[in-house]
Amino acid sequence: MRISRALSNPRLAGLLLALAVLWLGADISRSAEEKHVSVYAPQTSYRLAVVERDHREYVALVGLLEPLGTASASSSGADWTVRWNGVEGRFTEGKSQGKIRGTKVDLSAPLVVENGRPMVPVRSLATLLSRFLDARVDVHESARRVFVANAGARFTAELKKGDPPVLVLNFSMPVSPAISTEGGRLKMVFARDPVVSANENFSFDDKTISSLAYDESSGTAELTVSGGAPLLASFSNAGRTITVSVAPTQAACPPAPPTSPSGEPAAPASPGTAVAPSGQGTATPGAELPRGRYLVVVDASHGGGERGAALGKDLSEKDVTLAFARRIRGELQNRGITAVMLRDADTALPLQQRAEMANAAHAALFLTVHAGTMGSGVRVYSSMLAPSSEAKVAFLPWETAQARYVNVSHTVADGITLELGRRRVPAESLEAPVRPLNNIAAAAVAIEVNAPAGDTRAFHSPNYQLTVASAVADAVLAARPRLEEPR
Amino acid sequence: MIPRHAQITIALLLVGACILGFYVLSEKKKAEEQQRRVADNRPVAPPVAGTPQRVALVIAYDDEGVLRRRTATVVLPEDPALRAREVLRALLNEYVKKPSPHPLAEGSDIKDVYLFQGNLAIIDTTAAFADAHRSGIYVESLTIVSMIDTLAANVPGITRVKILVEGKERETLAGHADLMGFYDVAAVHELVKEMQ
Repeated sequence: MRISRALSNPRLAGLLLALAVLWLGADISRSAEEKHVSVYAPQTSYRLAVVERDHREYVALVGLLEPLGTASASSSGADWTVRWNGVEGRFTEGKSQGKIRGTKVDLSAPLVVENGRPMVPVRSLATLLSRFLDARVDVHESARRVFVANAGARFTAELKKGDPPVLVLNFSMPVSPAISTEGGRLKMVFARDPVVSANENFSFDDKTISSLAYDESSGTAELTVSGGAPLLASFSNAGRTITVSVAPTQAACPPAPPTSPSGEPAAPASPGTAVAPSGQGTATPGAELPRGRYLVVVDASHGGGERGAALGKDLSEKDVTLAFARRIRGELQNRGITAVMLRDADTALPLQQRAEMANAAHAALFLTVHAGTMGSGVRVYSSMLAPSSEAKVAFLPWETAQARYVNVSHTVADGITLELGRRRVPAESLEAPVRPLNNIAAAAVAIEVNAPAGDTRAFHSPNYQLTVASAVADAVLAARPRLEEPR
Repeated sequence: MIPRHAQITIALLLVGACILGFYVLSEKKKAEEQQRRVADNRPVAPPVAGTPQRVALVIAYDDEGVLRRRTATVVLPEDPALRAREVLRALLNEYVKKPSPHPLAEGSDIKDVYLFQGNLAIIDTTAAFADAHRSGIYVESLTIVSMIDTLAANVPGITRVKILVEGKERETLAGHADLMGFYDVAAVHELVKEMQ
């Protein structure tokens, strides 16, 4: 009768109907995303798919234990025996109690079996894991994150005042978040890193970088930096430090020389500025490099969710490019050349942002590293744009910024090919439409490393990596006088 | 006070909304599954009427990593834009059929070719052409230069080419080859010479 009374009120009935529709919409969208539990242990971290049974969340018990040791399950009728590293657990399908190490444990909900696998409630993970592993286990239940033996990665956040200010995040272990930016917000999503924080909000007394927010949900942790200007993140200290700074914009560029040779005020922008399309940021000039400054930007292509080419069963281009890029940076530094990498971890970086960063750094050379499986040896690519001999202008079109530098790019590509040939690595230089070469306002080449004789194991070979890297570094060193010529 | 029949109607509506929601949810899941399994390989344009003619195709061969010229007989209409589309479709047919010298996914096709002022061609491709393309600088470059050089060999006067996917600009074909700019046909032809 209460329902009848409730329905007799028109406002309440309408509200109920609206709530039902909203609930359905939310339910549909919820079902579209897969739920996961993340488990972080000192030796590994992994994610498990969550399935729902009777409105409760379950995970596979063997899948939960297997990454942490040797796990197996056997059944006799409804009774299940699960073994992990010699520790035995006994459970019964449909029962919410079991025994581990001979002691009773409460699962909080009945054990279910799906596709021949015993499944346990997510709510029981702290109890189960601590009994099996005999270790401390902390569960962040609402975020579905499980920490074994104090596996959390703590961090400190320090805003270094300056013009512009930078936010330095120091982590207790290397991290590799997926990074995305939108306006003045920079979001870092930690899916595999056990990042934890006691504070949810950090406020800074600064308009440019005003706050840092910590949140965790669905097996991931998120750090969101908010500020008054577009932000970007860079990695250092072997992935332990993330520095958030203001993204390079025209306003943030070093100013053009204040006076012309005649003493008159110079134009506000330096010659050779490449302008990004549709107001998505500007790239800074590559012209007029200061004498004595010779910076090479090494770009490990792809990263994060953008895996690049599939080079083998479990081998992605993004991992190979990172390994080769690190070698190349090391070889360049060994030769006294300043080299920086755009990414030094498994992070996603849009192509446009790579070009903007290289241009903003006033790079003398942009070197993007790729890997493939078509053929063997190394292909060295430069832009297909026709060389431009136009006089210096204040801005360069974004899509053809490379045109003024394409001749020197060809020179560098030929030099690298020559050095590789000297080391008996099959190599050829080609022009090709590789994004973002056309957007770079400096010499720019792409290197595509292929596995010798189709053996993809060679991608991991330190000898092969070193041979390619040293050839590239020698060629870059040889091209230095040409690259330092005023452009 | 709402009459009893109205109360029953509202209650039924609530139940109906719930049932409909669950039905929509199950249909959505089915559709997503179907989409994952089946590539859309429906033809994107009706067959054209015309006369069979010999055309030159610049075909990529992955095994050797080269481009080679071959001739084929294709039914070509009078309209230059339709001719351009049919020539490119003949090229992609070579790549889609099995075995293929340069495999492209089923559903890779040319939706339209637009010619402007006799020298600019805009090629509009299907989503499957780009979405399912193999990733790699060389493999993506082979596809693009073979298309552009084939087009230029059969439609005289084309000097610049732009490639769209489902009528929209796309940054790269499959992570490497640039689709944002205009391709210079002469530069592509020089590259084809190096790749032969």
